[in-house]
Amino acid sequence: MSAAQIRFATLWRREVSRFMKIKKQTLGAPLLETFLYITIFGAALGSRIKHLHGIDYVLFVIPGLIMMAWATNAFSNNSSSILQQKFQGAIQDQLSSPASPAELLLAFSLGGFMRGLIVAMLTFLVSVVLVGLPVDHALVLIPSLFLVGFFFSQLGVLIGVRAEQFDDVAFAQTFVLQPLIFLGGVFYSASLLPQPWETLTRFDPIFYMINLVRYGFVGFTEVNIWLSLLALTGATAALFLINLRLFSKGYRLRA
Amino acid sequence: MKALDIQQLEKRYPTRVEALRGVSLEIQPGELFGLLGPNGAGKSTLIHCTTGLAQPTGGSIAIFGHDAIDNYAEARQAVGLAPQEANIDWFLTVEETLDYHAGYFGMPRRERRERTKELLETFSLTEKRDERTRTLSGGMKRRLILARAVMHRPQLLILDEPTAGVDVELRLELWHYVQKINQEGTTILLTTHYLEEAEQLCDRIAFIAEGQIVAEGSSEELAERFEVPNLEDAYLALVGRKELSRSHIELDPEVAP
Repeated sequence: MSAAQIRFATLWRREVSRFMKIKKQTLGAPLLETFLYITIFGAALGSRIKHLHGIDYVLFVIPGLIMMAWATNAFSNNSSSILQQKFQGAIQDQLSSPASPAELLLAFSLGGFMRGLIVAMLTFLVSVVLVGLPVDHALVLIPSLFLVGFFFSQLGVLIGVRAEQFDDVAFAQTFVLQPLIFLGGVFYSASLLPQPWETLTRFDPIFYMINLVRYGFVGFTEVNIWLSLLALTGATAALFLINLRLFSKGYRLRA
Repeated sequence: MKALDIQQLEKRYPTRVEALRGVSLEIQPGELFGLLGPNGAGKSTLIHCTTGLAQPTGGSIAIFGHDAIDNYAEARQAVGLAPQEANIDWFLTVEETLDYHAGYFGMPRRERRERTKELLETFSLTEKRDERTRTLSGGMKRRLILARAVMHRPQLLILDEPTAGVDVELRLELWHYVQKINQEGTTILLTTHYLEEAEQLCDRIAFIAEGQIVAEGSSEELAERFEVPNLEDAYLALVGRKELSRSHIELDPEVAP
């Protein structure tokens, strides 16, 4: 391995080891949360609703839960990791190393990405075993999930860099991200909502992400798949470029 | 080639505070150089600009010929920093702290293992190798910070008040280690508030005040320049507190034996 490869692998390993050391909190808790949602909305509510657009209600809900698990874990991991290291001053060790802004950004991003991937994969595997979750369009599903994971990894990095206290991260997660996810149609179909809620839902970017993932799993969508995929790719790239600029300028990282 | 070549360095913070106002400093390879000045004089800012933790607003920094801005990777590879604050990650063990640091500097795994073992021994940290850093005492953290700074074998080692708040025994241990690696060829930039430390260890010393280098030379030269008997009095003259000089303290006749 070259020096640059060793450097990047170490930066990445550090981010992964951080959440692996506190597995109960970083993997156990989100898994439990996801399975509680499946139990409540799938078993309890599902026994009443049965089908939505011809799809078993539990199968309708699970794709959104998988997407939500990846998104929230990627976001919270990166935002808290960066803020915590800034708070301790430990981030100076990485910042004073020969690592480039792009290497630092990618390593921080991939920590949360990996955590989200693990939670999403475990949820997926259990869902396949328990309720026979299908994969109808793998070629849409895989890039969609990866883009969602990377988008929220970048968002977590952005919030972590900007944050000056833990309250800033909690605010973004509780008052912005969670409402957008819940109102984006994880548990219901937008077409069932009365106006103006149906139209308002279409202004929620997460609605499009949920539909992409749902289409990948069960083949149902309320949006144009290719336009949504294109928009998600553009948004993810834009966010990455914004973060890269912040890292290059040392915004709130270097004095 | 100079170990550290700083020319007209300026740093103005967004708050408009001018921390460095045209600092020029040259340190030769193998030197043990002391940087002294009161709190807020600009010592830490100068160090942060040199190590990439702060971005200069003017001037230039070259480390062993590598520009610290344009060729930052090569420049930073040559520098090791033991900062004033214990900036270690609470989640990591002592061993991981050293291993990750070396990894950031591109050191291969086998070399990292050997170097980690060697430094754990040198700094009496072997028994603590698997402990999380947050459980370490202040002295142990100080040892770890110095071990981490030298882990990738830097050519220029920057020690920002390395002995602040440590006991006499550890201070002497650190002094011996610093002298040893200096004799082996490592250039050292030391900031300290302990004047006897600077006097005993450093080849040359610079005084920095209000973001400017105001005097430079050996401790004898500095004393001569300020027309005082020693480095401590020269420093007191610099900060305008000559009345605190030990030579001015008169014994109180009522308590004198």
